[in-house]
Amino acid sequence: MKLKVCGMKYQDNIAQVAALQPDYLGFIFYEKTPRHFDTKIPDLPKSIKKVGVFVNEDLNTVIEKVNKFDLQAVQLHGEEAPYYCSILRNTKLISKPLDIIKVFSVKEGFNFKVLEPYEDLCDYYLFDTKGKLPGGNGYTFDWSLLEAYPSTKPFFLSGGIGLEQVEALKAFKASSASKYCYALDVNSKFETEPGLKNSASLREFKMKLSPNKDMQNYNVNDKGYYGEFGGAYIPEMLYPNVEELRQNYLKIMGEPDFQKEFNKLLKDYVGRPSPLYFAKRLSEKYNTKIYLKREDLNHTGAHKINNTIGQILMAKRLGKHRIIAETGAGQHGVATATVCALMGMECIVYMGEIDIARQAPNVARMKMLGATVVPALSGSRTLKDATNEAIRDWINNPVDTHYIIGSAIGPHPYPDMVTRFQAVISEEIKWQLKAQEGRENPDYVVACIGGGSNAAGTYYHYLHEESVGIIAVEAAGLGIDSGESAATSVLGKEGIIHGCKTLLMQTEDGQITEPYSISAGLDYPGVGPMHAHLSKTGRAEFLSITDSDAMEAGLELSKLEGIIPAIETSHAFAIFKHKTFKPDDVVVMSLSGRGDKDLQNYIDYFKF
Amino acid sequence: MNRIQNKLQEDKKLVSIYFTAGYPNIDDTVTIIKNLENSGVDMIEIGLPFSDPLADGPTIQDSSTAALKNGMTTEVLFEQLKDIRKSVNIPLIIMGYFNPMFQYGIEAFCKKCNEIGIDGLIIPDLPVDVYHEEYQATFEAYGLINVFLITPQTSAERIAFIDSVSNGFIYMVSSASTTGAKTGFGDEQAAYFERIAKMKLKNPQIIGFGISNNATFTEATKYAKGAIIGSAFVKHVTKHGVHTIDHFIKSVVSG
Repeated sequence: MKLKVCGMKYQDNIAQVAALQPDYLGFIFYEKTPRHFDTKIPDLPKSIKKVGVFVNEDLNTVIEKVNKFDLQAVQLHGEEAPYYCSILRNTKLISKPLDIIKVFSVKEGFNFKVLEPYEDLCDYYLFDTKGKLPGGNGYTFDWSLLEAYPSTKPFFLSGGIGLEQVEALKAFKASSASKYCYALDVNSKFETEPGLKNSASLREFKMKLSPNKDMQNYNVNDKGYYGEFGGAYIPEMLYPNVEELRQNYLKIMGEPDFQKEFNKLLKDYVGRPSPLYFAKRLSEKYNTKIYLKREDLNHTGAHKINNTIGQILMAKRLGKHRIIAETGAGQHGVATATVCALMGMECIVYMGEIDIARQAPNVARMKMLGATVVPALSGSRTLKDATNEAIRDWINNPVDTHYIIGSAIGPHPYPDMVTRFQAVISEEIKWQLKAQEGRENPDYVVACIGGGSNAAGTYYHYLHEESVGIIAVEAAGLGIDSGESAATSVLGKEGIIHGCKTLLMQTEDGQITEPYSISAGLDYPGVGPMHAHLSKTGRAEFLSITDSDAMEAGLELSKLEGIIPAIETSHAFAIFKHKTFKPDDVVVMSLSGRGDKDLQNYIDYFKF
Repeated sequence: MNRIQNKLQEDKKLVSIYFTAGYPNIDDTVTIIKNLENSGVDMIEIGLPFSDPLADGPTIQDSSTAALKNGMTTEVLFEQLKDIRKSVNIPLIIMGYFNPMFQYGIEAFCKKCNEIGIDGLIIPDLPVDVYHEEYQATFEAYGLINVFLITPQTSAERIAFIDSVSNGFIYMVSSASTTGAKTGFGDEQAAYFERIAKMKLKNPQIIGFGISNNATFTEATKYAKGAIIGSAFVKHVTKHGVHTIDHFIKSVVSG
């Protein structure tokens, strides 16, 4: 079935939605709607047909708009009579072929006889819900009425179609009522405000309706698993909280006012979209085309804030007013403390005692932002133990507290929720790369992985694009075989950590072992369940990089491009020493964080 | 009938004790079990230590870390317990986190428990849903009773589900907390204990978390079939070793 996205209004948004390659984009030339289109249509791929929507418009105006905007179809949404269609069809004033779509509003008792006079005068029908407005009313009609459809003319199905109708649409597609259904027409259910479409949910809708059948599903399934990994292995004490989140997170994320607030904060507070920068000198050195997705330029200096903004808005809507978080390098702690300050919420950050020592500037930042930093004194006193302490806090404070997990780990729905908040990274890469390289899909996307949240966001919209290679870079520490490493995909076995089944570094007896990496953010014995699945299925190539290679790569990026990366990020850049790309390969690197917090470590290492 | 089920039919309030295997010393496991039986407790939970015990407070965490340092593993514990049924008759439950059992192999673990004469398991991070779908048949084939936790936040609907899946007792966590975090009960607990008592569940309830002395033991057993003491007992053996266990038990049960 074809897809038409209607009610387009804004230039950037049109380009974003066009990147999803719908079959039709609709522009409404009707002044009484907030989606009224009155600007320029940017250049669109030829495969996308531009549809002008009119309501009882003067014929001359229609013809003028068709020519001016090079429309390939008109959709007549008023009480246009058969002769009206006939004139449009036969006029010499329009030189190119024009499809005519005549709209009928359907409700119970609809008499299909009204179609008869139009049968030879239009190309398609469009069936919409009978509502107050001509279209954009936001609710569906009873599709089973179409069982009585007497014609063989292909039709568009419209009216209140959104993500929540995916299952119903599948059932419709399987029923005889859909025999002549040619396309789906969507509009208000994918908007954050009238005329502004949410391309992420549109992409999801498209993917859900026609998943690429030859490929595996790399997203989470209904039960919270990625293949065999994921799930929610939690003590009963946490069940009510996690279940509350599971039942609500998709619903809340889909709400227009949530989307609006989230997108506005990402834009005005975080500074998104983050640039996609062509790294000329680095590209020359390694004889390939390297783009840097500049997450380091986000407010607070890393990708982490994409997720904390999303989760604090979620927490607010769940009625929570106390926020807890764990942190390794301190980036997530700072990002959490920041949004708590922004929203005036209490913030407690758990951080391993060792990490507190090696990430002093971030500890100071959190305190300045009003957060309480609690040292985790148990175990290895790093990220794993900070996570344990945060979970214990949540057990002891089950009612008023939301736990903002900083990575794509933890019990379902956390890995999926964090991934969705971070997916803005690949969402932007798609249209940014399109603008610079003329194509949305690079040959490779590369990211470093501890728990894997920047990686999850960088990969998300490419998971099912077969032509895009996915590279995950883990911390090898002093070397895979040194006993001092954090390369989970190599050293880990299936196990349970922090509420999910994933690849996990552990003893034969099932005790979780202490990982090691020079970078506090990669110093984690597990990996997000999505990544475990990508590793196991071979969808992603996992590379591991030692401390020393990472440090050298960080220095090289600084000198070649004038960008000092976080040590976590430096790991990703070390792959060019180990893997050769073709000269015309486009390699997009997630530059997940900036290196200010690591200055002391760089100084100590290089003896500056 | 399983030893746990038999015990639950006795007309008395039950006292159940948790201890961490291999703590304070690696070879204390069997001694502690024997001393506990001799001091008149009704049930024992043998804690299989784990590196990351999420549901536990500092006391049990520390004892677990120490036990692991002492060399305790699943294999070692099974070896220590292999002849336990020659000398001990009371119900024995292994309490531990899911990952070590998962690594041992769930079926192999159950089989071994059955051979030794373990009667039940408590696995705080194996949710009832996953157990019911994936493991219940295996546990039951080896005659093991799996015990689930409920908390003041657990919904009535979920309690009913847990009750339907259980065939021993329900472990009633006294308050929203990790182990050893709270002392003493307030009105909130009393209301919760009463609410659950009124539900007339098929499985009797035993209350744990926050039971440390005669007052809390008496309060808990007013509403439930018995009470579980964990952290307070671990503290006792840390301080006084494994040979004055009967003093501790007496002070809790009879004041």
